[in-house]
Amino acid sequence: MASVTFRNVYKRFGDVIAVNNLNIAVDDKEFLVLVGPSGCGKTTALRCLAGLEEISDGEILIGDRVVNDVAPKDRDIAMVFQSYALYPHLSVYDNMAFGLKLRKVPKDEIKRRVNEAADILGIRDLLDRKPRQLSGGQRQRVAVGRAIVREPKVFLFDEPLSNLDAKLRVAMRAEISKLHQRLKTTFIYVTHDQIEAMTMATRIAVINKGVLQQLDTPQNLYDRPNNLFVAGFIGSPAMNFFPGRLRKDGDKLLVDTGDFSVAIPAKYAKPYESHVGKEIIFGIRPENIHDSEFIPPNVDVEKVAVKVDVTELMGNEIFLYLVSGKNTFVARVDPRSKLRLGQQAQVAFDMDSIHIFDAATEEAIR
Amino acid sequence: MATAKMKFRRGMDFRRAILPYLYLVPAFAVMSVITFYPLIYQVIISFTDFQTKDLRFGLASPELNFIGFKNYTDILTGGLPVQNFNFTRVLVYNFWWAITNVMVHVPAGVLIAVLLNTPGLWFKKVYRAIYILPVVIPPLVVAVVWQNIFHETNGAMNQFLTTVSQWFGATDPVRIRWLTEYTPPIPWLLPTGPLTLAYYAMMIANFWLGWPFMTVVATGALQSIPKDLYEAASIDGASGPQQFWNITVPLLRPAMIPAAVYGFITSFNLFAFVFFMTNGGPARSTEILVTFAYDLVRNLRLYGAAAAFSVFIFIVALIVFLVTNKITRATESYT
Ligand SMILES: Nc1ncnc2c1ncn2[C@@H]1O[C@H](COP(=O)(O)OP(=O)(O)OP(=O)(O)O)[C@@H](O)[C@H]1O
Ligand SMILES: [Mg+2]
Repeated sequence: MASVTFRNVYKRFGDVIAVNNLNIAVDDKEFLVLVGPSGCGKTTALRCLAGLEEISDGEILIGDRVVNDVAPKDRDIAMVFQSYALYPHLSVYDNMAFGLKLRKVPKDEIKRRVNEAADILGIRDLLDRKPRQLSGGQRQRVAVGRAIVREPKVFLFDEPLSNLDAKLRVAMRAEISKLHQRLKTTFIYVTHDQIEAMTMATRIAVINKGVLQQLDTPQNLYDRPNNLFVAGFIGSPAMNFFPGRLRKDGDKLLVDTGDFSVAIPAKYAKPYESHVGKEIIFGIRPENIHDSEFIPPNVDVEKVAVKVDVTELMGNEIFLYLVSGKNTFVARVDPRSKLRLGQQAQVAFDMDSIHIFDAATEEAIR
Repeated sequence: MATAKMKFRRGMDFRRAILPYLYLVPAFAVMSVITFYPLIYQVIISFTDFQTKDLRFGLASPELNFIGFKNYTDILTGGLPVQNFNFTRVLVYNFWWAITNVMVHVPAGVLIAVLLNTPGLWFKKVYRAIYILPVVIPPLVVAVVWQNIFHETNGAMNQFLTTVSQWFGATDPVRIRWLTEYTPPIPWLLPTGPLTLAYYAMMIANFWLGWPFMTVVATGALQSIPKDLYEAASIDGASGPQQFWNITVPLLRPAMIPAAVYGFITSFNLFAFVFFMTNGGPARSTEILVTFAYDLVRNLRLYGAAAAFSVFIFIVALIVFLVTNKITRATESYT
């Protein structure tokens, strides 16, 4: 059990800066997810923590110990690789026991721990098999089992679910969350899948191009993204963005996109006053755009005229692809909505859930 | 109508069935002439007293006598007109020669491959070009060069040892009779016969010839071991040597065992090398089965006995093949 700290960590590969001044403090027993698009440096950050890559600059701490010069085996961590990296010539039992044998743990203790881990993961029947005789999901469990038996201070996962089919992925997601609650250890988990991040993490670190964008709880990331990147990355379908300007009309503050204008409720207007006349990007999530016939109670709405371009019926909801002038955007509306292809209509923007970003810096205006 | 169709279909089937054999005919024709015919001919003359005088008419020779298994029993009981001939001794030495070679070449080849595989090593490609060299030099050349190196008075080996011994104050030049000394340095090592100095000299020479192939195979196999296994092992707590023994060695095994089998068979029948380096000497102590069979023909003109000898070699090779085939199948790849 331990905290983990990245302090001004840099990792360069020649000219590529894979990790750029990373600062993260992970609390003990936390489930931290590193998320970001492909190539953003998540794996590299994790490998630096594991000691598989030497960092170019900065400090990494596990507990209060600086581990820059500590060998991987002495960092008291366990890692689940994306490829699982099971030893192909060893049985499942020996795969899990390998690290313990090297550490000279007594035989019956090894047996106890392996069996216990196998019970937790439901792989008791597979202990005599070789990795090649297992399915992808079973291999994944063995890889997790190999980490569990070591009883490390910190668990590292590098996209452990990306080789599984969609259904199994959802099931394993829940199991890993359960495992975290059961083991009460620090988990650091890398994924490029924001849904995985949202469902499992206690906190999420969003990384782009090696730079930490925001470190926060899933709910805060969703509700209050710091910048355009985070706003667009978290949430599915992604947030809609409209380039535009802030305009004053009497004492009303308007977002003017050129095709339509919406008024910002007076209670939220204050922070935006300084940006009047400037270019901004207006953001709103698909679920905050409603069919005007099914507006939930107690929300401030602004109506916008649109044309329905495409409809996707999902059963429990409908995705509408809408066009307003040069803007196309998505709305996730009530399943009872009768809006259909080609129709001209009015939709309602929920003005309590809007996001406004400075067009130049791409930072949220607050 | 239906029957006609069926006949037609059957005709098609027949043609389809015979087609592969038609393709094989040319190869078979060539093999019949250069492989099967001599093979059968040889088995036949192994039951005769075939000699030089019979060469003219071959099996139709009026003086040719069929003598049953006499050649075979002569070989097994030492009845050949060769001094101190002992078939078991040659057979055991031949196995010993092949096994000890492989036991040196494989570990050395793997070790060198691992060392050359060190990440960040300079001039990797140059080393790889250099060590492929012995593979392409004919064994004849190698044998002659090494024969000179081990020459008693002018050989590089003795000169080198002389220089070294002079550093330690010796004055006499070293005169080790590498290829001619009969007294074995370690008398108890092979109870069936003397392991003369020539054997050790040949081991050294053949090492030079043998390790590069093993290194080539091991290098290929090494590069197919996923890097993350080593990373997983290093997190699991394995030191460098532990990673070598627990990951590298077991994962090289599927590639190295067939290579070792190949090396064994090559060494077992390494005619040109033995023939040109020692010609089986001194006193036939480094003779292997193939050189012995050749000698029976060349010096004693005992075609029949030599043929019987070759049949023995064939049987031995067959047994080796069957056994190793079992072994290789037992070590099929892990994935
Ligand atoms: N060994 C290396 N040598 C050179 N560049 C590297 C090396 N490893 C990673 N990089 C570069 O560093 C950057 C980050 O790579 P990294 O593997 O951390 O990405 P990632 O976020 O894990 O992506 P993915 O989601 O695709 O796994 C990439 O631009 C990559 O090309
Ligand atoms: Mg990655």
